[in-house]
Amino acid sequence: MSSQRRIDWAIYAGFVILIMLVPLVMDPFWLNRIAKYLVFGMLGIAVALSWGYAGILNLGQGLFFGAGAYMLAMSLKLASATSLQQGSDRPVPDFMLWNAEPGAKTELCCITKASFLWLPFQSQWFGFAMGLILPVLMAVVVGLIVFRKRISGVFVSIIMLALVLLVRLVMIDAQPVTNGFNGLTDLGWFKIGDFEFDPYIVPTYYLIAGSLSVVLLAARLLIDTRAGVILQAVRNDENRARYLGFDVPAYQTFFFAVSAAIAGFAGMLYVIVSEFASPTFMDLSFSITMVVWAAVGGRASILGACIGAIAINMISATVSETEGFAEAWKAIIGLIFVLVVLYLPRGIAGLAHDLIDRVVARKTPRASPVLRVHDATSQLAE
Amino acid sequence: MLEVLFIGLSLGSILLLVALGLAITYGAMGVINMAHGEMVMVGAYVTVLSGLWLGTNIFVAIPLAFIVTALLGLFIERIVVRKLYGRLLDTLLATWGVAILIQQAVRLEFGLSFFGIHIQGLGPGLQNVDVPGILQGTLHIAGADINRYRTFIILVTAVLTLATWFLLYRTVAGTQVRAIIRNPKMAAACGIDVDRVNALTFAFGSGLAGVAGVMMSGFKTVFPDMGTPMVVDGFMVVVMGGVGSLLGSVLSAGILGEINGVVAAGTNDILARAVVFGVVIAIIILKPKGLFALKGR
Repeated sequence: MSSQRRIDWAIYAGFVILIMLVPLVMDPFWLNRIAKYLVFGMLGIAVALSWGYAGILNLGQGLFFGAGAYMLAMSLKLASATSLQQGSDRPVPDFMLWNAEPGAKTELCCITKASFLWLPFQSQWFGFAMGLILPVLMAVVVGLIVFRKRISGVFVSIIMLALVLLVRLVMIDAQPVTNGFNGLTDLGWFKIGDFEFDPYIVPTYYLIAGSLSVVLLAARLLIDTRAGVILQAVRNDENRARYLGFDVPAYQTFFFAVSAAIAGFAGMLYVIVSEFASPTFMDLSFSITMVVWAAVGGRASILGACIGAIAINMISATVSETEGFAEAWKAIIGLIFVLVVLYLPRGIAGLAHDLIDRVVARKTPRASPVLRVHDATSQLAE
Repeated sequence: MLEVLFIGLSLGSILLLVALGLAITYGAMGVINMAHGEMVMVGAYVTVLSGLWLGTNIFVAIPLAFIVTALLGLFIERIVVRKLYGRLLDTLLATWGVAILIQQAVRLEFGLSFFGIHIQGLGPGLQNVDVPGILQGTLHIAGADINRYRTFIILVTAVLTLATWFLLYRTVAGTQVRAIIRNPKMAAACGIDVDRVNALTFAFGSGLAGVAGVMMSGFKTVFPDMGTPMVVDGFMVVVMGGVGSLLGSVLSAGILGEINGVVAAGTNDILARAVVFGVVIAIIILKPKGLFALKGR
């Protein structure tokens, strides 16, 4: 193990320990907020994987986040107390009553035209499974079509952007099944066995923090595998990788799907802590905001993007407490973003990497010439 | 049916109005300007402010908005975009930041609202523009009711498109722009001052967006966030039409406008927009270079 890599893993470990210690110092209100930001950190990981490592700038990551969120939210909606009080012995979401077909029975099967789609969601684990399956399925279908046709760069971004806006409009239009603009609110709690994850208790925080740690480390391991290295080769020069005989679309689709799965998982966790799902998850600005987090943290660093997302949201939350400053903060974010793109294209993580490299190089003067060559190649690879 | 087609045509002309500037900046300079929608917004605010403070109408606002947004565009090109040529996706991200800055500048009244100073016509609220009497009401042509303001929009779009075509294909500066579209390095080698032409192109594209904003202000409420959906629409038009092709943008704006109008007449506005997005996705997948792509060299 090279010393850079050792430092790298030490930083990852430090981060995991840090987020595990948060409940010792925070009250439940802040714990819930930080849990949300950790979820955004997970989105940062998803963006870094597809943008930094696969070279696919996905301007529609919100599609996968939203899909995951809605799938679990449908199950949790059926688990909420109000859904059981709608005059049927089995749960029916309250908004369906307001949109009911004239003369329809108050049953999930037929109360509105497409309400039967909700039937399997009476099982929470069906919703949970769909929260992973649906984003992956969408990513694979899009990936196979788009990457097989060798569409790349900005065109993929536009396709994803149009797709997320299309789905958002359809969701809004399908009011009787999705509650349209209002989204799904008044949800029940997520349950494992008999344990209920109230969003304001410490175990829920650990559910989120633990999930984030697992995803973070898994993503880090994944990019060190052979597939991960080939993927980075594809990002750097697609044609060369193709000439070398690699099935480029397969690698791109695989990592696109992994990124989608992470985003979908993040969507589900977000529903658990925030107790709602809404079409705003599929707004253009949300999808671009995720990219902003990753860019500020460092698009080519899994942990950097994750920390970028958490840090920006933490600072926003603190700053927005001051009345009237929230809008100014938005302007500052805009400014930071312009400056990062112009002067710090590798983000905070890139800056940190350079600092670490310098320290390491100073500590081991004998090895430095070799190290410098190694640095240069690894920078080229980035 | 004639009325539906007319509405489609006017929707298409609005799309074209927004897309025209983008077609030039994206096609010629390889810059995805996400702040383009904010130029539209600034143009709309110029109409609001000139109406409030100078007492002038929408006709005066057109040249005024063009000048203001062109200068703003020139400024953005100098400060931000110039440093990012050749980094397409980075231009998208940086101009997104610029877009937020412009929005917040309007919302916070250039920061003056912190000091308790308020400028009438700015701020986070909604603004309205009164349209001169001449442009109100409807015309009766061939048994159909034709909205006068929509007719005005179609005319302005036609004039601007012709002007852009003339500039691009019948002047020396336009020839230089087209040379840069084809091959910037070769153009530079032939003695074209690429930096200068790019800056002016960007300013012109921004100015067109400003005029689009004036036209928008006549039939839509004006507010700081109004530009974001427009840049998306404009961008779809450009990509579908084919980068660097003026004709492509004109036709794809017309097609998307008509699709939007016809589907909306049959169902509702939300589904119509969804169908438009679907069509754009299908066309990018089938013809990634757009309907009328230039042959690259």
